[in-house]
Amino acid sequence: MSSDERELHVRGLSRFIDDHCLPGQSLYAAVCSSKVPCAELRSVDIAPALALPGVVTVLTAKDIPGENQIGAIVGDEPLLATDHLRWIGEPIALVIGRSDQAARAGAAAVVVDAQERPAVFDPREAARLGQLIVPIRRFEKGDVDAAFTRSATVVAGRVESAGQEHVYLETQGAVAEVDGNKVRIRSATQSPTGVQRAVARVLGLPMSDVEVDVPRLGGAFGGKEDQATPYAALAALAALRLRQPVKLVLSRVEDMRLSGKRHPYSTDYRLGLDEGGRILAFEVTYYQNGGGAADLSPAILDRSLYHATAAYRVPAARMTGYSCRTNLPPFTAFRGFGAPQAFLAFEAALDHAAQATAVPRHELQRRNLVVEGDCLPCGMVLSGARATETFDDARKRFDLSKRLARIANHNACRPRLVQGLATMPVCFGISFTNKILNQASSLVHVFTDGSVSVSTGAVEMGQGVSRKLARIAASVLGADEALVRVEATSTTRAANTSPTAASTGADLNGMATLLAARSIRERLDALSKSASDAPLSFSQAVTHAYASRISLSAQAHYATPHLGIDPETGAHRPFAYHVYGTALVEVELDTILGTYRVTSVKVVHDVGHSLDPGTDRGQVEGALLQGIGWVTCEDLRYVEGRLASDTLTTYKVPDILGAPELEVVLSESDNDRAVMGSKAVGEPPFIYGLGAFFALLDALRAAGARLPEGEYDSPLTPERVLTLLCCDGNR
Amino acid sequence: MKQVLSLNINGHDRDVMVSHEDLLVDVLRDQLGLIGTKKGCGHGSCGTCTVIIDGEAVLSCLTLALSSQGKKITTIEGIEKDGALHPLQQSFIERGAVQCGFCTPGMIMSAAALLSHNKSPSIEEIKIGLSGNLCRCTGYVKIVDAVEVAAAKMRQLDAAQKGA
Repeated sequence: MSSDERELHVRGLSRFIDDHCLPGQSLYAAVCSSKVPCAELRSVDIAPALALPGVVTVLTAKDIPGENQIGAIVGDEPLLATDHLRWIGEPIALVIGRSDQAARAGAAAVVVDAQERPAVFDPREAARLGQLIVPIRRFEKGDVDAAFTRSATVVAGRVESAGQEHVYLETQGAVAEVDGNKVRIRSATQSPTGVQRAVARVLGLPMSDVEVDVPRLGGAFGGKEDQATPYAALAALAALRLRQPVKLVLSRVEDMRLSGKRHPYSTDYRLGLDEGGRILAFEVTYYQNGGGAADLSPAILDRSLYHATAAYRVPAARMTGYSCRTNLPPFTAFRGFGAPQAFLAFEAALDHAAQATAVPRHELQRRNLVVEGDCLPCGMVLSGARATETFDDARKRFDLSKRLARIANHNACRPRLVQGLATMPVCFGISFTNKILNQASSLVHVFTDGSVSVSTGAVEMGQGVSRKLARIAASVLGADEALVRVEATSTTRAANTSPTAASTGADLNGMATLLAARSIRERLDALSKSASDAPLSFSQAVTHAYASRISLSAQAHYATPHLGIDPETGAHRPFAYHVYGTALVEVELDTILGTYRVTSVKVVHDVGHSLDPGTDRGQVEGALLQGIGWVTCEDLRYVEGRLASDTLTTYKVPDILGAPELEVVLSESDNDRAVMGSKAVGEPPFIYGLGAFFALLDALRAAGARLPEGEYDSPLTPERVLTLLCCDGNR
Repeated sequence: MKQVLSLNINGHDRDVMVSHEDLLVDVLRDQLGLIGTKKGCGHGSCGTCTVIIDGEAVLSCLTLALSSQGKKITTIEGIEKDGALHPLQQSFIERGAVQCGFCTPGMIMSAAALLSHNKSPSIEEIKIGLSGNLCRCTGYVKIVDAVEVAAAKMRQLDAAQKGA
């Protein structure tokens, strides 16, 4: 049952954070946060809040018993502000009330005296001022300058990609209580150990005194990898102080204002090709808008650098990244983790080259795709490359040339509704780029009736990891899958876990589960051999093992092999393997209104040997719609550091009417680098959505718009599309 | 100032004490414990709080509780019949239309209201019927599919009942 929660969901029985501790069962906490983007914090007057009815207490930085610090990579993020305010929404005080209304009224009543300082919002300006979160990251392959000199065509330009709000439907939240001398937290986090570590640090407790439980998440997409931590820590701080359960759940508007999002990037590119349209050289500089604290920005920038050349073979490349500190909320993980920004920039460069050389973009793409044995700029040699295979499969299966001819024909007579099509190939590296995180453990118990319990660090957030784990355990043990329960993630059952992120949840926890299940199976097999000639059923074997005093539990640990620097060659291998695929994305644009529809997306996606094809298909469909949203309708806007798009009416995610017709073909292949031949599926398909951006550019060109050369601004909202249509006096 | 609100919730008459400003979603969740109705945005944009009032899909986060005086309300907890899942609940499971599950109850309630008015909706009509409900996980393909499947099943059940 527990491995498949769908029945609970459809019956309304699954409890999310806000469904625990109904009124009367807990106190409520609300955050008082900074209203200014950059200031010296002079004083915080809590008296007006305390005077309000229903307010129990107000906590500020001085009430923190341990270290006032939650920064995981860089120690630059106090839980509650002390001397400085660095972004609008930075937590200053926590108000605890008998109701959520009382707590929120209290938060609004706290008086903050702050002296404003000049703020910086633009990452290039921050870089000029030397405001970097980590030193400049740079790596290079081949003689880049010589390769540019040899190039017949060189194009250069700039790509602006906006941030993206996660819009997980369950907002951030946590419920904390103190049980004897243990702090228990129910947190909506992808990173139970991250929360446990931060809470222990803040409260001055050993990690063993802090238990974090994560039953399920109502969506996360990276937004709860690091940014669930402050709310869990604040709830825990209050619960420990008051010795009562405390609930902290953000409203949608609070969530949108306070939480970090996908990083906006400003990117310079230069691409050189030979006369045959083959790429010779690429140079790219990323200005990552990191916001006011490091959060995961350095790791995200690393993934951008590793995916700088997208799905293409680039003999000489120079990649530079600036992680820039600005006065916006700390930007964070979001599906793709820096790779989408890199893919968008490279594809823009390729689009630019296609315009310059008059070779169709899809031709340039096809000529330059990575192939087996290619060495990526980081030094990793590709094995099992399927870029050309999936591209050709998509091209033939969906009849690319016929579609292009149909569109050209349609557009020829300049209709009001013009069409565009883009091909979008993907080559996405799987593993955490921080090698340490590529480990997991699993605890498997077989009960005497043949039912099974599996505990890992994998957090279920709708990606179906629990069903995959159940399937792995059942198949290795020979047990009935319906009798395998995958437990809610708890730091007491699974310790030192990595976040469920980087698409690795099933890979890492699945392999650990396979190893644990296998060791139990081996014990049963040894016993069966000695016991009788006739093979025993699983439940007979279990009964027999128990009677023979053989352990029916096992814990196993898995660490992804072969990652990191090869001591002999010095080559860097950041990823276990890559995921490939190609999408054909079609759009239809109204040349008078600037409105458009993404009409169809057709995908060939590489899944290895899928552990659960239905789940994988759902992941591809959902991810690519998020990708489409990022480059089209999702318009994240800050005005002087204040989020202007702070509700779901001003920030539009794709709805059911905006969803295109989708056709997803799962393409199977062997993969000896992940559990049972499968492949990770969470993030790579996001990239397909970027095809909408380039299909729209083609439609704009078909409409006669003269687009500014070498300038690519995402998202292409209808407003921006209309501007592009109008500024050239078209129609 | 609280006053008595009399409702028929999922077939049962219930009296609750509410204030003028109380929203239906909070009364359902906090007073009646019907936590299947979710609060996703609080301003009528996401559809996770959808319930059926007198046959119509309604956003309970935009509905003052007192405006439901004497009305018949159905929540996700009330659409099973005789312990069996509603065809929509069944098809959402079978067609994989559920990922994180947070939008699911609201999505099913909007679909149920649609199918009570239109037994054979076209794909376009299904999309319009569900257009107030956001899902950030699925890409909507399987959701439309599930509603189509449930509609067909309900027509079959209707025909079988009439035949019997």
